[in-house]
Amino acid sequence: MAGLAELIFDSQLYGAEAIQKAAYRAMHAFTLDLKVDGDNILCKLIGNITTEHAAFERAVEEFRKDVLDYQLRAQLQAETAPIRNLIIGLAFSNARLNPSE
Amino acid sequence: MSKFQGLDAYTRRARYELLPFKFDRLEGDNYIITNMTGEYLEVAMPELHVLLAKDLATEHPLFASLRAKHFIRYADEQAPLDLLALKLRTRLSRLTGFTSLHIFVVTLRCDHSCPYCQVSRQMDGETSFDMTPDMADKALDFVFRSPNPAIKIEFQGGEPLLNFQMVRYVVKAAKRRNLDEKRDLEFVIATTLSLLTDEVLAFCYEHDIILSTSLDGPADLHNANRPRVGRDSFERFEAGLAKARNVLGVDRVSALMTTTDKSLPRVREIIDEYVRLGFNGIFLRALSPYGFAIKTRKFMTYDTERWLEFYKEGLAYILELNKAGIPFVEHYASLILKKMLTSNDPGYVDLMNPAGAGIAAIVFNYDGSVYASDESRMLAEMGDQTFRLGSILTDSYEDIILSDVLLDALEQSFTLSAPMCSDCAFEPYCGAEPVFHHAIFRDVLGRKAESSFCKRNMSIFKHLIGLMKSDVSTRHLFMQWANAC
Repeated sequence: MAGLAELIFDSQLYGAEAIQKAAYRAMHAFTLDLKVDGDNILCKLIGNITTEHAAFERAVEEFRKDVLDYQLRAQLQAETAPIRNLIIGLAFSNARLNPSE
Repeated sequence: MSKFQGLDAYTRRARYELLPFKFDRLEGDNYIITNMTGEYLEVAMPELHVLLAKDLATEHPLFASLRAKHFIRYADEQAPLDLLALKLRTRLSRLTGFTSLHIFVVTLRCDHSCPYCQVSRQMDGETSFDMTPDMADKALDFVFRSPNPAIKIEFQGGEPLLNFQMVRYVVKAAKRRNLDEKRDLEFVIATTLSLLTDEVLAFCYEHDIILSTSLDGPADLHNANRPRVGRDSFERFEAGLAKARNVLGVDRVSALMTTTDKSLPRVREIIDEYVRLGFNGIFLRALSPYGFAIKTRKFMTYDTERWLEFYKEGLAYILELNKAGIPFVEHYASLILKKMLTSNDPGYVDLMNPAGAGIAAIVFNYDGSVYASDESRMLAEMGDQTFRLGSILTDSYEDIILSDVLLDALEQSFTLSAPMCSDCAFEPYCGAEPVFHHAIFRDVLGRKAESSFCKRNMSIFKHLIGLMKSDVSTRHLFMQWANAC
């Protein structure tokens, strides 16, 4: 095994989905074991056999940034979803997809 | 007392609202943000956090750009929504046209035996690998079912000139049908030019046919990549090119190159050869994981990092040429730049979402099989029939276009619902590429974190943005590339 790291996130501040998405993005370097323990989300990052130590360290650092990014993305998406749907509605309402119209 | 109110009277007191956008890290603490239609801005991390908290001051240098590019609006403003909708509709308008490119594989026979060839070529005397008139007629029935007002028929092989009688047959039959159909009909022959004759050229001239050919670089490289009996592929290419341009016109012959391991240290020489031969651009392509490229393990002879070095060196050299007064385009960059800097989609199949397979381009193989894309039939030649949509001999248009094989591939690879892609700020510039990911992962979606397609394109997107930021003249040049016809 090339590396092992354990991280704890506060579930009041971070969603499990943000952590899962960040882990998906890092799957070229490590895999994730995820556990919820009370208000804590426990993450065990297990380096891939092919991941060298320095690359693993870099990937863990990226992962921490990505978790924050994905959390912010989730908030942004939730906040802007109604406008997004409105824009898509406006776009397709005038698309003349039906030639008889 | 002044008749005019002071500037303060026009300052909005209300807080702005966020419009939908995505963000991703570039280098260090810098982020790119992209809106629904691919317009982008670069912001530093602290600014991004202030923006998201809706605390950005109206005097901030970014504020006006954020409004102009529809990242924020005031709650009472309708125009940003209408403009975003209009740009989104423009971007997706290609979808209503449906299939435009129809590829006829008129023969698998070929006079070349290229080790990286994406098609399993056959000996040039073996006519059982030729398309028949019956198949061609049924394929044309299919072609004219497409609602697209612009129809392109491209002849591929093998070497299509080895079955030129079928090319003639299809062109004449298509033009006859088009007297009633009145589509904008265009023909292309993909050929090495090695078998080009005056008779072929006269027919091409008469029917306004474009030639799409292959040039891998200087003679020694081209001949090493493209062996044929006589070892004269390049010499035949050069003679054919001169003849074709003389009859058809310079702009009626284009060329594509393939990057092999032998090409990697020679990108400048390759570009110089294109310039010497009077081409106005080059498409620096990576080797595809299909057909003989996999069988001969050519696909594995270099990795994505090495190809990216090759690409970036080539692009830098092309920028040098332009600055020295030699107008020359890198076509892959120009396709991406069109997506980055305009509201138009260039319709390049690899960078489409939903994927272009079947709905932008479709392939009629010599044996009547219909495939979702050129790459799909290449996979089929290697024994993987995943993207065989049916047969023009036995299946209807509806059977083929509404087949689960096609619809499942389009739906499952759709980037706006794909893991990683759906959150990616570069998604508006990228594509679904189900066939590539199936070839690598046996899954049309693929794991993007491990995908060389994702790595390659993300790196190019970031590189182009970096180049535009670092040099105003490069940005101006890229604007020209993006807006070229």
